[in-house]
Amino acid sequence: MNAGTAPGSAGAALPEGESVALMSDEHSPTTIAARVRRLAEMFAATDLLRLHIERKGEAIELGRRATHPNLVPEIPADLGALVDAAPARLDAIRSDLVGIFHPSRPVPAEGDVLEGDRELGYIEALGIRNSVRSLGPGRIASIKRSDGDPVEYGAVLFEMDRG
Amino acid sequence: MIANRGEIALRINRACQELGVRTVAVFSEADRESLHVRQADEAFCVGPGPAARSYLNIPNIISTALVTGCDAVHPGYGFLAENARFAEICADHGLTFIGPKPSVIAEMGDKATAKRVMKDAGVATTPGTGILGTAEEARKAAESVGYPVLLKATAGGGGKGMRAVERAGDLARAFASATAEAEASFKDGRLYMEKLIIDPRHIEVQVLGDEFGNIVHLGERDCSVQKPSHQKLIEEAPASNLSVKARDALHDMAVRACKHVRYSNAGTLEFLASGDKVYFMEMNTRIQVEHPVTEMVYGIDLVKEQIRVSAGEKLGYTQKDLVPRGHAIECRINAEDSRNNFAPEAGTLNHVMFPGGPGIRVDTHIFAGAKVPPYYDSMLAKIVAFGETREAAIARMERALRETVVEGVSTTIAQCLEILATPQFRSGKYDIGFLPALLAAQAALR
Repeated sequence: MNAGTAPGSAGAALPEGESVALMSDEHSPTTIAARVRRLAEMFAATDLLRLHIERKGEAIELGRRATHPNLVPEIPADLGALVDAAPARLDAIRSDLVGIFHPSRPVPAEGDVLEGDRELGYIEALGIRNSVRSLGPGRIASIKRSDGDPVEYGAVLFEMDRG
Repeated sequence: MIANRGEIALRINRACQELGVRTVAVFSEADRESLHVRQADEAFCVGPGPAARSYLNIPNIISTALVTGCDAVHPGYGFLAENARFAEICADHGLTFIGPKPSVIAEMGDKATAKRVMKDAGVATTPGTGILGTAEEARKAAESVGYPVLLKATAGGGGKGMRAVERAGDLARAFASATAEAEASFKDGRLYMEKLIIDPRHIEVQVLGDEFGNIVHLGERDCSVQKPSHQKLIEEAPASNLSVKARDALHDMAVRACKHVRYSNAGTLEFLASGDKVYFMEMNTRIQVEHPVTEMVYGIDLVKEQIRVSAGEKLGYTQKDLVPRGHAIECRINAEDSRNNFAPEAGTLNHVMFPGGPGIRVDTHIFAGAKVPPYYDSMLAKIVAFGETREAAIARMERALRETVVEGVSTTIAQCLEILATPQFRSGKYDIGFLPALLAAQAALR
């Protein structure tokens, strides 16, 4: 388990006991929803900006940006729905530069299944269009940014289910 | 936007807040939990830990300024502060670069060109060369200048890319390593050469100019307590044991030089002093690390002045209005092992406590639990002590250093205390050979 910005990165760690409780092997949607809800509550009580947990091919990432409303990753009100849709293997597609995010046409939607690599959007930076690609086939599990959002380096733009 | 990190990013943020200016911080992934990120109104990650991919990443820094609607960029010191191309790019995108004009940065930032310009302005300079293309060219130049010589990075500062060479046999290796270090530090590996003046004093003059041609000096600082790497450790203002004649000459040369290049904003002219002779060494076209000692004795907030001048305001005073009072000393608290050639250390600070009380100022970005990343300068804090006299300032600094606790990495606190306790420092009669000699004596005793 990693509490920080990315797997392997430094960051404040949750207590050891909590990590065991949160990452049980039990996969019942109800149980997972309860655990994610608890994780979100714990996350809200910390001053962490982002929390990324990976284990046995599963991953969840929570984040916030208090300083810019457009950058605050939304935590869905219905965490159960999030968990119900939780894919077996999530692959975050991140911005590697700072700029304005725009989706490509046709506008990608959550649930879209891609059979190969395609452009999902682009970052406009200093007047240059920088392509954001799916980096292979998969299902778009989530779209983290809206058209016109400013994005920083490392911001998660899409999550792909490669399962 | 504050295009920097650490204590200077906080220093700039404080000045902006007091002026009612909203701020945007940039940060690397290694600095995500830093105080400058928390205290700015907005903060954007611009890259991973290594500075070349974050704090030197011009496209991401400019893009951050644009997407957040910034009007101006304060570069602090180090990183992009003396990068004329960066200042030009700011201007190209409608951003005010808080510093002098790009052409002046280029002229003064290129140390070899700066020396030529200063000569034209009638300022005394050390014997030396222009840019050296190859080690062979350097070898021929050294024969002409005469050993010992000092190889210096033309884009340099902070002792990076600098090598003292005493013999012809050492020149090629020193040239190669200085070039590599300068390239890594400044993305510019070009070197020039100066005659090495043995154990001079390092005395610098603070200047401030506006866009209307008004230039003032804010006295001098003595920065002669330097590590063997030529990095400063303790600075004080004013310089002691300096004749009225030499002091006036320094101040006059600094103002004359600035008028010659039509300088605006804050800057520092560094001189080497040997006896009553002073030689121009280089000009730093930015705020200096040690600017607080000048602020303490002149009562001027230099960072606010930089912002006001960049906004097109005139200086609100003339030279005769500027009267120094008292004495100020700054000690740099670095994450370094002073018994191991000041080797930098990274780690987590598990206990931090800073001094307070009358006449003490602490500029720092660290706190208990903060991580010291391995990517950046090792300075953790600057402790500044003010006193009505030099003796009072030293006594206050000793008290402040004894109150300071930083646990988790080695620091320079004990070394600073040992320096302050020496009769040589207390007499004020020291030069840049003082600390290396003290270190050698300490090592011999161990």
